[in-house]
Amino acid sequence: MPRIDAHLHVFTKASPEFPREISDVWPAEREEPVEKLLDEMEKHQIDQAVLVQMAGASIANHRYLLHCLKEYPNRFLGIGLVPEGHPNPADHMAELTDNTGIIGFRFSTFGGPRDIFAKMDVREFAAYPIWKCAAERDYVLWLYPNAMNAHLLPYLIQEFPQVRVVLNHLAVCPGKGKFSWDALGRPQIQVTGYNLTMHTTYRLARFENVNVHLSGQYAFSREEFPYKDLAGWHRGLLTGFGVKRLMWATDFPWILEEPGYGKLTTVIEELLPGLSEAELADIMGGNAKRILRFPDL
Amino acid sequence: MIRPAPEEKKQWEEKGYLVFENAIQGEDLKRLQTAFDYWADACKEEWLDRVEAGESVATFYDIPNPLEKDPIFIDIIDYPSYYGALMEFTDHDLILLGPQVRTVAPWPVSYTGWHPDVGHENPLHIKVQIYVNDVELGGGEFGFVPGSHKPDAGPYTRPMRQESMPGHKTFPGKAGTAIMFNSCGWHVSMDNHSDVPRKSIILIYEKRTPGRIGPDQYASISEYCQTPERRKLFSLDG
Repeated sequence: MPRIDAHLHVFTKASPEFPREISDVWPAEREEPVEKLLDEMEKHQIDQAVLVQMAGASIANHRYLLHCLKEYPNRFLGIGLVPEGHPNPADHMAELTDNTGIIGFRFSTFGGPRDIFAKMDVREFAAYPIWKCAAERDYVLWLYPNAMNAHLLPYLIQEFPQVRVVLNHLAVCPGKGKFSWDALGRPQIQVTGYNLTMHTTYRLARFENVNVHLSGQYAFSREEFPYKDLAGWHRGLLTGFGVKRLMWATDFPWILEEPGYGKLTTVIEELLPGLSEAELADIMGGNAKRILRFPDL
Repeated sequence: MIRPAPEEKKQWEEKGYLVFENAIQGEDLKRLQTAFDYWADACKEEWLDRVEAGESVATFYDIPNPLEKDPIFIDIIDYPSYYGALMEFTDHDLILLGPQVRTVAPWPVSYTGWHPDVGHENPLHIKVQIYVNDVELGGGEFGFVPGSHKPDAGPYTRPMRQESMPGHKTFPGKAGTAIMFNSCGWHVSMDNHSDVPRKSIILIYEKRTPGRIGPDQYASISEYCQTPERRKLFSLDG
């Protein structure tokens, strides 16, 4: 069974060939190229990976991702972005998925009522056209909902049971103002001691098309690797979603320095020590292969 | 104080629950509904801000510190229609752990799995759920597995769907209905397939153990607790 890293990012220096947005964390001259990733994968026996677009949602911003997918068609699948407020997201999505290796799209807001007790009509949600398009074209939706959108998600999932959904990073829904970058250049999300997502995204386990990444531990934990304070979260997800709907991922490149790619290949064994070999293999790649339809190597 | 009838005591022992229809009615019910709606509306925006900040649960909403908001929320703690049963079942040694004045969003947002609240090692732990609005079948009504509170019952496991729980009973009811249950028993809010959020109040009690609730917990409402019984119920004298 292949070992698949189900969520990470690569990017190259900003250039006319590969234009991208820049920030303090990914300035124009920084690069974390696919070759560097392949080195890490080789060293740690990881066979395939999901490359997730970052640093811009325009078609042009996706050029480096498309380049990587074209160069290594059997190694990677891609997840794209849709510009917020795009007048015709279906066209954007179609252009990016035309035999490119991009299989779906990532976003975090759904554009519905803020009032949790309001009457909901999903057809009026801003994200409805994206979901409709995903349902019609079999795209995967890669979701990292912010806290104010968590209550909208079940309406969309109920409306589109045929859409494969992958909740990123332990299904956490970050709160407004709770995001920062640490001294090692890693995203940090301040979360409450009591895991609020047990009441929202964890409950989505009842929808069979919803899957979850076991990743991003470094961003939520108050401890060093192996992040034992999150063992309960992992057990909760295992109990709710079952072993067949969980996918391991590293969130490369943010983790390269601390704890390092190699250590993260063991994080599931550390946090879910009771798994059988077959169950571990499912989480480490078997599920990603089946759910995301990775090609045979 | 209305003491439970022998058949009610028998049902409590064997089934682990009692239903008090029209437990609160007339002017008291109107007072309760008015206070609930007023404070739920007044405090909602602050709750939504906390949800947005990732500091509060997004599927249900409890009015904060309700006992300080309106005396009706204090009056229902020892309301005559069910207080006698509470006292009887705890050998007249009852304390309040807390109230939850709660609005729960409809399906598919809100979803609770079947669960007990406490284990059998816990002192007798009782909840009283009061419907503030009418709760129809399929409207988020309370569900309970009769007899599941007994130490030799089960074992039980949480089914994927609420309605699949073996032996369960559901409790639709009119506003003012109170359902008392042993919290060792397996219970749930059934899915609410209406478009009306369910408003209810959950009062949590326990048979007294020393130091369980400190005297400061309810000190802010001590002016409403002048009788020895109330002072004991609210642990105001330690």
